[in-house]
Amino acid sequence: MKEFEYYIGPQHLGVSGNFGIIVKVDGDTIVEARANPGYLHRAFEKLMERRYFVSNISLICRVCVFDPDPQEAAYCMAVEEIANIEIPERAKWIRTMILELSRISSHLIYLGSLTSTLGLYTVMQWAITDRDYILDLLEMITGGRVYHIFMQPGGVRRDLPEGFNTAAKNVINKLKSRLTDYYNIIFNSNIFINRMKGVGILTPDYAISTGVTGPNLRACGYKIDVRRDDPYLVYPKLDFDIPVLHNGDMYDRALLRMKEIEQSIAILEQILDKMPEGSVWNPVPNPLKWEVPKGECFSRVESARGELGYYMVSNGTNKPYRVHVKGPSITHGILVLEEILKGQRLADISPILFSLDVCPPSIDR
Amino acid sequence: MYEELKIDLENKFSISFEVMRERRIKIIIDKKQAIPFLSYIKSKGFIHLTAISCVDWIEEGKFEIVYHLWSYSNKIHIILKTKIDRKNPLFETASFVYPVAQTFERDIHEMFGVDFKGNKRQIPFILEDWDAAPPMRKDFDPVNYSKEHFETEQYTEEIETKVRKSQRFRE
Repeated sequence: MKEFEYYIGPQHLGVSGNFGIIVKVDGDTIVEARANPGYLHRAFEKLMERRYFVSNISLICRVCVFDPDPQEAAYCMAVEEIANIEIPERAKWIRTMILELSRISSHLIYLGSLTSTLGLYTVMQWAITDRDYILDLLEMITGGRVYHIFMQPGGVRRDLPEGFNTAAKNVINKLKSRLTDYYNIIFNSNIFINRMKGVGILTPDYAISTGVTGPNLRACGYKIDVRRDDPYLVYPKLDFDIPVLHNGDMYDRALLRMKEIEQSIAILEQILDKMPEGSVWNPVPNPLKWEVPKGECFSRVESARGELGYYMVSNGTNKPYRVHVKGPSITHGILVLEEILKGQRLADISPILFSLDVCPPSIDR
Repeated sequence: MYEELKIDLENKFSISFEVMRERRIKIIIDKKQAIPFLSYIKSKGFIHLTAISCVDWIEEGKFEIVYHLWSYSNKIHIILKTKIDRKNPLFETASFVYPVAQTFERDIHEMFGVDFKGNKRQIPFILEDWDAAPPMRKDFDPVNYSKEHFETEQYTEEIETKVRKSQRFRE
């Protein structure tokens, strides 16, 4: 049969954001695929050059909708490194806690959207509900549900509210009791196993050469995690495992996220027990007049999708001279996606896109 | 560790080497040596190209291409910087050394107008039907651009009544 071109997107295939794929198909087998990003380009990097260091925080959380807190943390770490500011110990613990809450909520959405591409809509309903309990906690701390704008250079905006520990422990216990249900409905489901095992395989060599990071790389057998390799905040003081799987197919990528949720829950329990008392913010100068000294730095954190980096250059004024955001999806959303899709069936496009956890806004910025 | 690396690199290339803090090294290199340096440093274990950034130093008349390299074995991050001419922004691709560089260079080509010789895929990436100067350059003014390209209307009472009329069915 003659090959023809087929446009997928840019209306999103689920919840990951507007993203197009142009595929050339023979029958329903994909011969060639081209990623077509750019529908969420909001020019954050240019806007940041025209705004004060502090006001940028309300912009950058929008770089990745489902996982906004790593952006804030990486940005604040960059400013603090250039301006040589130490942040209080308690602020570090609070930041770490928010990062882990954000990771769990992002992974829950991941499981929900991946399984809903196969018609297992129950998981999506469960995941949205359980994510809402986490959003409740985040609302309690920050006042916002999706975007928090809570971290700022020098620490965090305010201390934890009264009764937070009890509320957090309740949510953690609730999540823990749900994990078996998730395992049963997703990973013991025959439909899921048949559709996922051995499909969309990412080989270890290709993953390394195309700079894949995060859970996608760990599902290929590499024990690489920024939280351990380039430690930040209080991660060196916490005891947690880095789960690794070896097949690199869609099933392993999903299972790995499930295991990461367990680890994040363990981290949260430790944080709630060990969190020290003290202040949460070291005052910085008036943000409108704050001239951050000349300098540059690269800060990186482990977001739910992989390594997130901020390269910041300051020329001694009250606005950054250049901020470059390296979103985790720019590696696995373009080259890797195009390579994996070759030879697959049309029906597998959206499961593959979701199993890689491509976040289009962090490609487009 | 840092000393060994410094001696080794300085024997082979003319560079300025600075340890910024723990796990961060800054290296400044001439543009002619940049790509051979990348091939060499990759063989030394820096197999992960985190990103390529571009900075527009408009007063100096230069573009600065910044490579961010990470070594999984030594846990060191290298910020490799090199400057190219701003009037004639031509550079060589690193995609033969690091395949992922293709995507980063595509981004820089579009946003700064730097031409990477040898990159097979310098096609439009994020912008669509873009006809103005590369937007991330410092001399590109987004306010002027939007004034020239998009119509604006002063909000008046006339418009308000027009809008209200069209929405009357909701009241």
